Amino acid sequence: MDLDLTEEEHAFREEARTWLRSNLPTEARPPEGQAMRDFDLAWQRTLYDGGWAGINWPVEFGGRGLSDIQQMIWYEEFARAEPPFTLNNSCTFVANNHGGPTLIVNGTDEQKAEHLPRILRGEVVWCQGFSEPGAGSDLAGLSTKAEIDGDELVVTGQKTWTSYAHVADLQELLVRTDPTAPKHKGITWVICDMRSPGIEIREIRTMSHVTDFCEVFYDEVRIPLANVVGGLNNGWRTAMSTLSFERGTGFMADQVELAATVERLIGEARERTDASGRPLIRDEELARRLATARAEVSALRAMTLAGISRTARTGMPGAEGSMIRLFHGELHQRVYQLALDIIGPEALRLTPVDGEGVWTGPYLQSFAYTIGGGTTDIQRNIVGERVLGLPRA
Amino acid sequence: MYLLPTDEQDEIVATVRSQLEADFDLHALAARDGAPSVVDRDLWRRCAELGWFGLGLEESLGGVGYGLVEEALLFAELGSHATPGPFLATVLGARLAAEAGASDVAAAVVGGESVVALAEPEGDRLRVTDHGDADLLLVVGDDGAALVSSDGLEFRTEPSLDVHVPLATVDAAAARAAAPVAQLADAGALLLRGTVLISAELAGIATATAEQSTQYAKDREQFGVPVGSFQAVKHRCADMAVRAEAATSTVRHAALAVRDGLAEAPFHAHAARAVAGDAAVANAHVNVQNHGGIGFTWEHTAHRYVTRAQVLVRTLGDRTGHLGALLEQPAPQ
Ligand SMILES: Cc1cc2nc3c(=O)[nH]c(=O)nc-3n(C[C@H](O)[C@H](O)[C@H](O)COP(=O)(O)OP(=O)(O)OC[C@H]3O[C@@H](n4cnc5c(N)ncnc54)[C@H](O)[C@@H]3O)c2cc1C
Repeated sequence: MDLDLTEEEHAFREEARTWLRSNLPTEARPPEGQAMRDFDLAWQRTLYDGGWAGINWPVEFGGRGLSDIQQMIWYEEFARAEPPFTLNNSCTFVANNHGGPTLIVNGTDEQKAEHLPRILRGEVVWCQGFSEPGAGSDLAGLSTKAEIDGDELVVTGQKTWTSYAHVADLQELLVRTDPTAPKHKGITWVICDMRSPGIEIREIRTMSHVTDFCEVFYDEVRIPLANVVGGLNNGWRTAMSTLSFERGTGFMADQVELAATVERLIGEARERTDASGRPLIRDEELARRLATARAEVSALRAMTLAGISRTARTGMPGAEGSMIRLFHGELHQRVYQLALDIIGPEALRLTPVDGEGVWTGPYLQSFAYTIGGGTTDIQRNIVGERVLGLPRA
Repeated sequence: MYLLPTDEQDEIVATVRSQLEADFDLHALAARDGAPSVVDRDLWRRCAELGWFGLGLEESLGGVGYGLVEEALLFAELGSHATPGPFLATVLGARLAAEAGASDVAAAVVGGESVVALAEPEGDRLRVTDHGDADLLLVVGDDGAALVSSDGLEFRTEPSLDVHVPLATVDAAAARAAAPVAQLADAGALLLRGTVLISAELAGIATATAEQSTQYAKDREQFGVPVGSFQAVKHRCADMAVRAEAATSTVRHAALAVRDGLAEAPFHAHAARAVAGDAAVANAHVNVQNHGGIGFTWEHTAHRYVTRAQVLVRTLGDRTGHLGALLEQPAPQ
């Protein structure tokens, strides 16, 4: 056990800090449409050129081949630089945090060579086509079907809650390729070109006022069999590795940013006063909640470090990732609920979900943290069954 | 950065664990419920021979030469086993004596010859835990910490919430009248270690109760199936595991920060105390519930964790105090 940084890690931190000082965008992220996509990809390209893309990805595919610790250091430095946007609120999220990592573990050499460098260089947007109207928590109950025709799959069906589908080039798509097999056995994970004929996309407005949620309809969409990742009818296994990245390391940037958010909130409580002119931080209840939030983000960081240590031993994030995801999701919500109690009348004023000094937009967005990537109920099932070994119902 | 125990540290834990299971079985110790001193001198000396009291003390000060991290691993096991005995006062008392230059006193404490009890201010009296067989009192207060002799002091015993943590009070002025056998004017560093060790003990309670519930949920059958297959029970167990993981990780992080003398060490120590305290109390409570009727019996050990957690979250400061101190700290850099 130690908290030491190696000389290399120290140097890495310094390097990141220096680079961020002169390369961090100052303008706000456009909330929607082509402008948003352009902004996210330009930032990804800037990261790539600076050497900050794919920090823990293999060198041969354009990554830097460094450790998860260095990846975390980068997130910490990014959060400390007081950026005008949050790192994960980006249409590059899927590719960077689980699409790419899934290919690194399960992809063929051709798939890796084709896709990984383009992800890092900011040339493509990926989205995730897992959930369907009839298959959310029960993901394996999905019914979008794919029939083999020559060297192609022909896909017909519907996905929903697909973030950023309307600006995406490619998709992690789960389809049923064998309707006769038991439900976990007949699924295939395939890379779908979102520009293919037969795809129709409809945007959905979310409770946080953004429209990056989509429904996606597939009408005899043809996808080369060469795009299958991890083998035909073996898609459940591939999907589990996607989800282990999404739940295990995908939210590391958010976890790190939450610590900075709590510090910002403590600053607000020091500066703001109640009706009698007393600083809010002197209010016993608010002080206790703020201090508890500080203690809990400190726990979150320690859990993240423990998770990284475990992954360093085993190579892949395990089911323990669900413990962090669960703790983080609920804590994230508590922090923004607390924010609304601190910012006074500003709590009545709508802000964007992202940007400097915003609170109400992120508060509305925080509801996503206990639903997306598997609801907290599902995370609790996973902890109970896969970490603790309790019997299934 | 690596937050899991090394092989050597795992070995220390395994040794401690087997000793505790052999010598500190809670069902056997139930015979001493309410006794003025739960752990007898022989057993105390055996713990000393195992090196527990000087585990984190530098060799130059007469200790084993490990550090706070290993000491915290020991205390997590003490928490896990709801182990009775004045471990905290002993480990802190030995360090105080050693640092104050009273090496004879330190040696007697480390060797299990001198038994130390913790004394904390409560009005104009001192509240003493584990007073029964104590030779020395570790008196802590705003004005530092001191070891004083218990000779001639009049203890007023009281029924204790935790029957394995005997409780008494003593007149504060009387205790402070005699010259201390060792003294530190600034006890800040000592108390920071104490905060980490209590947090570790609390994290141990959170872990043990999570394990106890999980095991019972697998064994106990109702409606023809293990009760752990019911989602209400399963989710309570999952939440216990998350709280235990949060507490354990935070405590390890804090132990490292204090050991390394980092500027943000107090931040992490107070945070660990808050997180581990909440985890221990919540898990100890839910653990009773998960056991149904048997969890409510004297014979079952579930209640031992409840009362131990409640004692520990009120030892060397309380939740409000540690949260207040945490909020005073600058943000970690
Ligand atoms: C912001 C956001 C972004 C998302 N992005 C994507 C995306 O890009 N791609 C994608 O494929 N999906 C995405 N999703 C979808 C997400 O994965 C699903 O919403 C989620 O898995 C829940 O499925 P559901 O909506 O069908 O809810 P349901 O499964 O219908 O759940 C309804 C309620 O029942 C509970 N429940 C269901 N099953 C159980 C059970 N076994 N035990 C206990 N309780 C249960 C749930 O916890 C929930 O409270 C996103 C969701 C959000 C909120």
